[in-house]
Amino acid sequence: MTSLRRWCLVALGVILVVAGPLGVRSWPAGENDVGATDLLAQVRAAAEQPYSGYVETQGALQLPVADRFTDVGALLGEQTRLRVWWRDRDSWRVDRLLASGEVDLVHDRQFTTEYDYQDAEATTSRDPGIRLPRTADLLPPALARRLLEDVADRATRVPARRVAGVSAPGLRLEPGSDRSSIDHVDLWADPVSGVPLRLEVYAVGASVPGFTTEFLDFSADEPARSRVTFTPTGSTEQSFDDVLDIADAANQYAPLLPPDTVAGLPRTAASDGAVGVYGRGLTQLVSIPLRGREASPLRAQLRRTLGVVVTDTGTVVSVGPLGLMLTGEDGDGGWLVAGSVTAQTLSDAALDLLSGTVVVDEGQDR
Amino acid sequence: MIRVELSKMLRSRRTWSTILLIDALPTLVAVLLAVTDLGPRPGQGPAFLSAVLTDGTLYPLAALGIVLPLFLPIAVAITAGEAIAGEAQQGTLRYLLVRPGGRTRLLVAKLVSVLAFVVLAVLVVAVTAYVLGITLLGSQSLTTGATSVSGSSLSTTELVARTGLALAYAMLCMLGVAAIALFLSTAAESPLGAALGTMAIFIASTLLLTLEASDAVRPYLPTRYWLAFVDLFRDPILWRDLVRGSLLQVVYVGVFLAAAWANFATKDVSD
Repeated sequence: MTSLRRWCLVALGVILVVAGPLGVRSWPAGENDVGATDLLAQVRAAAEQPYSGYVETQGALQLPVADRFTDVGALLGEQTRLRVWWRDRDSWRVDRLLASGEVDLVHDRQFTTEYDYQDAEATTSRDPGIRLPRTADLLPPALARRLLEDVADRATRVPARRVAGVSAPGLRLEPGSDRSSIDHVDLWADPVSGVPLRLEVYAVGASVPGFTTEFLDFSADEPARSRVTFTPTGSTEQSFDDVLDIADAANQYAPLLPPDTVAGLPRTAASDGAVGVYGRGLTQLVSIPLRGREASPLRAQLRRTLGVVVTDTGTVVSVGPLGLMLTGEDGDGGWLVAGSVTAQTLSDAALDLLSGTVVVDEGQDR
Repeated sequence: MIRVELSKMLRSRRTWSTILLIDALPTLVAVLLAVTDLGPRPGQGPAFLSAVLTDGTLYPLAALGIVLPLFLPIAVAITAGEAIAGEAQQGTLRYLLVRPGGRTRLLVAKLVSVLAFVVLAVLVVAVTAYVLGITLLGSQSLTTGATSVSGSSLSTTELVARTGLALAYAMLCMLGVAAIALFLSTAAESPLGAALGTMAIFIASTLLLTLEASDAVRPYLPTRYWLAFVDLFRDPILWRDLVRGSLLQVVYVGVFLAAAWANFATKDVSD
């Protein structure tokens, strides 16, 4: 065999092995003629559908948050790999896969256990109504459930897309309020179960998504109960934590009662403590009272952030579709106001919080 | 011819000194961990290294995590890069080709020899690490059982089987390095050139993995799935990256061995 023939054979082999995966990847998704309203209804009806799979999220939101805010910055600003087994809202497990370990959340009714392999620790806490975002909130179905609260009829179809090996029909969701900093959210759902498989969140004026979450492997079968239970081994240190995170702590112990409405957004029924959650769906903000020792490092970080605006009321930063504002000056405590709202809405909310918050005496009912 | 090449490799002082050098780093790390009782902080250091202070039976995996990203590929690149170019540089290639069997058989014999080196190097690291792990480090798994990365318990049988699979996976990854180095060995004038060329490919791959801009090519980079052996210790095993990593290495091995064959079979050999 001549040299040319040998190299031709090699080239043919290379073409075959390269063309195979590329062909599969670029295979067009089959279009689905379901209407936007019907698809939206199907997605909403799938809210209690069990599922399992492998999810990757990609965030471009580099939040200038301090250590006290656990891993919120990493969750929204980096790639996260997750495995999920979801039987229902009371019984699920989400594993965050790391190159050298795992941090897993196992939820059983009102309790959630966080297992950290590298620390060999399992910490159980009750599941508070108010807390910081965690991995389980970033799953496509969980995020969609939250965002779908206020889209009403403002949903339109977008072309189908191949997600987790299926041709998933797409929806574009737009906020129902001009106070939202989100321009739109694109959602692709499983055509059979209706479970959202991929979400892309776009900030106003952005051409690329600020946050993406997607199933790469998906099953709509109910996972076995053994998959959502956690049985610690003898080498795992177990503990119970009364306070989950800084938001939970402020909500439980800060002697404050924020106003019922800020910036025209009503407080949700779930937020009945010192931390307020206002608005819903794509237009939502949270207000957390911080003490001086928590506010000062955060304020310093916010002031080092590109595009920071310092006003008489506080320090404002916008990161993609998320806005953060911290009221007060150096050394003071303040309100951290954060959410998917415009900078003006943050300022309005901060002013309302500063003027409308009631200090609650110890022992007095809120 | 295969027996001759294997015998040559096993009798070579360079083979054993290279393996000893690869083994030295995990040995040093084990001694330091035992003396100081200080593991890496969570999220830092190679996989399993934070767990070996309490469970020394995991040290073969930690040792694999230590040598796999750099030391082992360098050793494999040098050994495989030497295969053809080394013979040519020493002026022995012409004499080797005079022996019956032809060029393809010589290439296969060299490949088997490199494969044997990979297996030997990985096994020596694993066995040394196991002995060091159970003598110097923690012995918790002997009393309470091993813990998977997902927090569930692993029986001794499961731990041994999964460790065996992890070692086999690491060997397959190194076979990919060997195939590239072997091809460059047929193309380069000197073994150093072949080894450096191979390392350049793997350093470039490692660098590209850190760039968001390289997202489109990331799944095809040779080092993309090297550390996926950790997924064997999740519960249940996450096969996704392991399968992709294995297929990718098989493709690299197939393509570069075919290229080595195409290049070497008709190469004008004067040395």
